[in-house]
Amino acid sequence: MAMTTDEKADALGRVALFDGLGSASLLPLGEAATETTFADGDALVIQGQVGTGLFVVVSGVVRIVQHGEDLARLGPGDYLGELAVIDREPRSASAFAVGPTRCLALASWDLFRRVDADSSLSHALLRGLALRIRALTEQHHH
Amino acid sequence: MADNEALIDELSGLALFADLPRPELAAVAHTLEEEWHADGQRILREGLSGTGFYIVLEGEVAVRIAGEERARLRRGAFFGEGAILLGEPPGADVVATGRVRVVNLAGPAFHEFLMRHPRVMYRMLQEQTRRLRSANRWSR
Repeated sequence: MAMTTDEKADALGRVALFDGLGSASLLPLGEAATETTFADGDALVIQGQVGTGLFVVVSGVVRIVQHGEDLARLGPGDYLGELAVIDREPRSASAFAVGPTRCLALASWDLFRRVDADSSLSHALLRGLALRIRALTEQHHH
Repeated sequence: MADNEALIDELSGLALFADLPRPELAAVAHTLEEEWHADGQRILREGLSGTGFYIVLEGEVAVRIAGEERARLRRGAFFGEGAILLGEPPGADVVATGRVRVVNLAGPAFHEFLMRHPRVMYRMLQEQTRRLRSANRWSR
């Protein structure tokens, strides 16, 4: 069954990137998000291609591959593709569905429009990216 | 107020503030404190509480993690935002190399500053994205 806007907003609210956002921020995102299903082995994004949006995993598993090397597996509540939304540069890694996988897709232009209209969303994204920058420096460190 | 006008001029040349009209820049300049730091002075201390957001105006600072230098930051670069956004102590020492002039915003005022100046937030997002890209490795 297709997800309602409320369900999509709920799912987005559980994502670290959108942590702390209220329904005033989440509902418009839920409205803009498209539910997309992938079969086993389908590509969500291809390394080197210019990205058109952000994916949030709702169910299933996504495999992240960079230069032919398996880097990570993502599950429900994880996200990918957020950098391309900001800088519109090519994807830094590929992502493939492992088994049937359901995602919410947020198109760059929709997310960008929301960022422009909603300071809380920008603030949440800043925090989300700061978390990743911190994780990177700690990875280097250990 | 001549000094303030000079600071507004200076801020207007930084990428972080490139989208701001002059009245908004004046408001920004008003909230920032100018500081000088002597060579070797630690502006941020890794692992210690007490945070602030800083933008380099003159000179150069070194970013050190566990004593190891990771980066040099110059005019227009900013630091300290990560610790404030995450509500955690700074993840690095930031040390003046030579005399350094910065502008500073105290931690608690930073969130309000961001919400008041969404264009600055957007520029900051772009810079974070660049940092993550330049790390050139996928991480979560």
